Amino acid sequence: MAEHGAAGRLGVGLGWRPEIDLTVERMPGVDFVEVIAENIRPGALPESLRVLLARGVPVIPHGVGLGIGGAEPPDPDRLAHLDACARALGSPLVSEHLAFVRAGGMEAGHLLPVPRTRAALSVVVENVRRAQDALAVPLALENVAALFGWPEDEMTEAQFLGELVEATGVGLLVDVANLYTNQVNLGLGAVSALDGLPLSALAYVHVAGGHSHHGLWHDTHTSRVPQEVLEILTELCARTEPPGVLLEWDGDYPSDAVFEEELGRIRGAMARV
Amino acid sequence: MSEPSRERARQELGRAQAELVAALVAGGEVPEGFDAARLRVQEGALISKRRGTVARVRPDLVVLLGDGFAAHFDGYARGRPKPEGGSRADARDFAAWLGERGLLPEPPGAAAPVGRSGGLGRLLGRVLGRGSG
Repeated sequence: MAEHGAAGRLGVGLGWRPEIDLTVERMPGVDFVEVIAENIRPGALPESLRVLLARGVPVIPHGVGLGIGGAEPPDPDRLAHLDACARALGSPLVSEHLAFVRAGGMEAGHLLPVPRTRAALSVVVENVRRAQDALAVPLALENVAALFGWPEDEMTEAQFLGELVEATGVGLLVDVANLYTNQVNLGLGAVSALDGLPLSALAYVHVAGGHSHHGLWHDTHTSRVPQEVLEILTELCARTEPPGVLLEWDGDYPSDAVFEEELGRIRGAMARV
Repeated sequence: MSEPSRERARQELGRAQAELVAALVAGGEVPEGFDAARLRVQEGALISKRRGTVARVRPDLVVLLGDGFAAHFDGYARGRPKPEGGSRADARDFAAWLGERGLLPEPPGAAAPVGRSGGLGRLLGRVLGRGSG
């Protein structure tokens, strides 16, 4: 299985959000963007995204609501929406999370980690295959930030993702801020995670800031990227050349100057290898 | 893995995930083996995430409640799962909850558009700024 590399060269990107549409449009050095898939309608794309597309900037639909790590097979309507987004945007790939977001008829409201067991892996493998069958472009899955672990965890996240990649050919979206989060909150070493992940399947990378609260790291995407996260990015770049690296920011938006500085710090961390 | 054993794995995973989600959003018991303190932190982070989205849908409620927005939203959301219909439904139910407690000057109106003006932006920033997980 080898469809995960299809993203080609993306460069350095910024998460497009309606609140910062003009910022993203005007920012120099934004090579590609991501849009939250659940927030757009393929038949009525925001003008700002159409401006970026006309300029040749790749736009990747990033889903947050599929819950591919759930016990139920992925919802065909949600998959059809992701596919329609990718078609409307001419995207090279679609990304989602290795997470579940609902169970027992209740919405969790955000991404929750999947128990890393053999049994759960068999379910997720089948879910990923169904998703791939429904999508015209490759799928990449992101490692998530966790505040807790499952008592029955029997594999590391890197092992789990490695086996998932091997079984399905799914691409990897490595979020280095989430690796940092899990290092702080769960004691899972970020650098050893990098060593264990199948980086040949790397589609692109996420970088973001967060907040420390009572000794735990909250991956809020609302602040500057901490140096520790950039150091993990440098470590990643020492192991492979990532096709793309994208900064996520989801609220408490700063000035355009801060965005530019942060993109510059990301480029610096990538060049420090 | 054979089809029947994968079906069993699905059922078992579904049961475990449902117990966990019930503990996180519906006041259910902490499933055996989990770190209860961490699940409380996760519960708070999920509420914080919901609060941020509701603030974007109903900035008028943020203006109305000011710094009390977060505490009122937490009072509404703790132990109450996000309703079907997403954040708009959540915002509608929150407004109704406020109304029942006499915390709204009038019956909840339609969602106001999100503005980008300075004062509201700062207020939203305070509400959305931390712990949105």
